[in-house]
Amino acid sequence: MDDLRAVNRDVGTNATKISARGVQVHYGDTHAIKDVEVDIKERSVTSFIGPSGCGKSTFLRCINRMNDTIDICRVEGDIRIDGDDIYDRTIDPVQLRARVGMVFQKPNPFPKSIYDNVAYGPKIHGLARSRADMDEIVEQSLRRGAIWDEVKDRLHAPGTGLSGGQQQRLCIARAVATDPEVLLMDEPCSALDPIATSQVEELIDTLREKYTVVIVTHSMQQAARVSQKTAFFHLGSLVEYGDTDEIFANPKDSRTESYISGRIG
Amino acid sequence: MTDIPSGSVARTTMDMVRGSLSRRHRKQFILQALGITAISLAFLMLFILLASLISTGHKAFTQTEITLEVFIDPEEISAERLPRGNFDDVLAAALAADLPSVDPNDRAAMRVVGGILSNGAQFQLRDRVVADPSLIGQTIALSVPVSDPYDQLRKGLLDRETPESLRRLDDTQIAFYDRLIEIGAITSSLNTGLLTNADSRFPELAGLKGAIMGSFWALLTCFLISFPLGIGAAIYLEEFAPKNKLSDFIEVNINNLAAVPSVVFGLLALAVFIGWFGMPRSAPLVGGMTLALMTMPTIIIATRAALKAVPPSIREAALGVGASKQQVVFGHVVPLAMPGILTGTIIGLAQALGETAPLLLIGMNAFITSAPATPFDSATALPTQIFIWADSPERGFVSRTSAAILVLLSFLIMMNAIATYLRSKFERKW
Ligand SMILES: Nc1ncnc2c1ncn2[C@@H]1O[C@H](COP(=O)(O)OP(=O)(O)OP(=O)(O)O)[C@@H](O)[C@H]1O
Ligand SMILES: [Mg+2]
Repeated sequence: MDDLRAVNRDVGTNATKISARGVQVHYGDTHAIKDVEVDIKERSVTSFIGPSGCGKSTFLRCINRMNDTIDICRVEGDIRIDGDDIYDRTIDPVQLRARVGMVFQKPNPFPKSIYDNVAYGPKIHGLARSRADMDEIVEQSLRRGAIWDEVKDRLHAPGTGLSGGQQQRLCIARAVATDPEVLLMDEPCSALDPIATSQVEELIDTLREKYTVVIVTHSMQQAARVSQKTAFFHLGSLVEYGDTDEIFANPKDSRTESYISGRIG
Repeated sequence: MTDIPSGSVARTTMDMVRGSLSRRHRKQFILQALGITAISLAFLMLFILLASLISTGHKAFTQTEITLEVFIDPEEISAERLPRGNFDDVLAAALAADLPSVDPNDRAAMRVVGGILSNGAQFQLRDRVVADPSLIGQTIALSVPVSDPYDQLRKGLLDRETPESLRRLDDTQIAFYDRLIEIGAITSSLNTGLLTNADSRFPELAGLKGAIMGSFWALLTCFLISFPLGIGAAIYLEEFAPKNKLSDFIEVNINNLAAVPSVVFGLLALAVFIGWFGMPRSAPLVGGMTLALMTMPTIIIATRAALKAVPPSIREAALGVGASKQQVVFGHVVPLAMPGILTGTIIGLAQALGETAPLLLIGMNAFITSAPATPFDSATALPTQIFIWADSPERGFVSRTSAAILVLLSFLIMMNAIATYLRSKFERKW
């Protein structure tokens, strides 16, 4: 594959969407995230890379407060989206998660119909005023998930009956159905074949027009292909963060260099 | 890597594997043989149980009846005196007409003749005449059950070879029977009374309706109490309760509660429901409440297991699109856990259906000759009815006890079949 092919990387003009300062995460006694500081740009794709267990997922899950559901997990520090502290007492995590969508590593459609999978988020947030409205939202989301053509004739078939790649795109459609501002994706292609992967990558590239996308990936090629900014994590610390071309072309930190050249991880 | 030539390593490793292989196969063979033996023993026991129940019980499913041409004599029965009247005399007279050897004026002989019929026969006739008084003065055909000894005689449970003095029927009575057989008056039919009659002192009349209705009301009460409470408690404990010392303590105690002997719950119910709250004795309502105490831990444990089995990815998916905790639980987790919850509930109820000891303590072993119309009426339940019949001296109750056990078992099998069906129907592959 032609690595490191740059995809239109001019993000310099974009404003900061998510800013993290001094983020510490503990799971009981495990110190999983150590003092992470990062600014993620609006309408861009940022990828998190790093060896297994370095805390990529943990940090990602801080951004929509999914870690709240883990009893032993403690998050400290300051994470702001558009300047609002998302760990503030006045912020309802439910509302936050409507703003910050998430796609998980393993496709996890609800055991319901394709239609209901996509309609669920808009329904609980009351985004559709009528049945026709909802149909419209579902179609749009499925189109944005690049799966509309494959499922338009069987919207009422169960979502679990789709192939792995289709399920993952359905999950992406479900995540964009609530029209979030930020889309978090934790290794969205790890269960997919190369064809489905390239479909999802193309999709991510188009999502950038509307959303701020953060993607965790183990594939350096993927990071290079889809993202404008890359963050390299190692043992819970953010080692290096910068423009993707920069990171891959001339990494500043020796750990980054050895990771992308295949010596760590 | 060491520097041993790879060929020799491969050979010795393979030899070692081969050496251990036969040992492993032998172990597996022994284990399988033990398993098969255990299962065969269990099946043998089950077979013996069922075979003995069926061999004694099947006789209770038929009932010996006698068909009579009854002349409803206006001298004995008058419309004004209904529902009183000499119905037994009318029946005896009808029988005597079929037995030429009997002198209708010999009162002692007539009493023996009347004894052929079940005690319930006169009430059956009375009910018909009361329902339609114009029958007085007419002749009607009537099929009534014979009394227990004659029923036993037809079923071959009364041996004609025993000396007359030890027999329940003497030679004249047997002669009457043979005469009635000869003229074709005695027939045998399916014993619907077993399911449609309530309990009776007379085995040929005793049925399970009261017990079935009692069990029904008790189980309904038990279900209505334990299902919502059990599921509610389980959902709260599993999904919402903070995990701390207190919730651990509660968890341990629920598990303990499931292991408490049922008789203890009976004593508790006797003291609390009947003693303090003054609820009626022998009532299915109290029985159901007692059974609910026992069923609830089962339901709680089954529900918690079912909730735990819902994959976390589904919860994350719902949380991820912004569902609240309560929406996740009631919109996704509980519906997915429902088959498991229902299976656990049905198994809990099946246990409750067979439970005897606590019902004995709260008096559901009373002798009650009418089926309960409401859960507040005194009643028995199926297992206590079995207990009562098993304790009765009349020969006729022996086969009825087995028949009642078969009825109870068939209800249990039905419930378990429903549970299995639900499980296989709604089982999900993730
Ligand atoms: N639920 C949890 N409970 C306890 N420790 C956890 C939990 N989740 C993660 N950890 C720990 O936190 C650290 C970071 O884990 P995390 O899942 O964020 O790694 P990762 O970078 O996503 O790894 P991978 O690439 O393998 O997914 C690990 O040491 C892990 O053991
Ligand atoms: Mg991860």
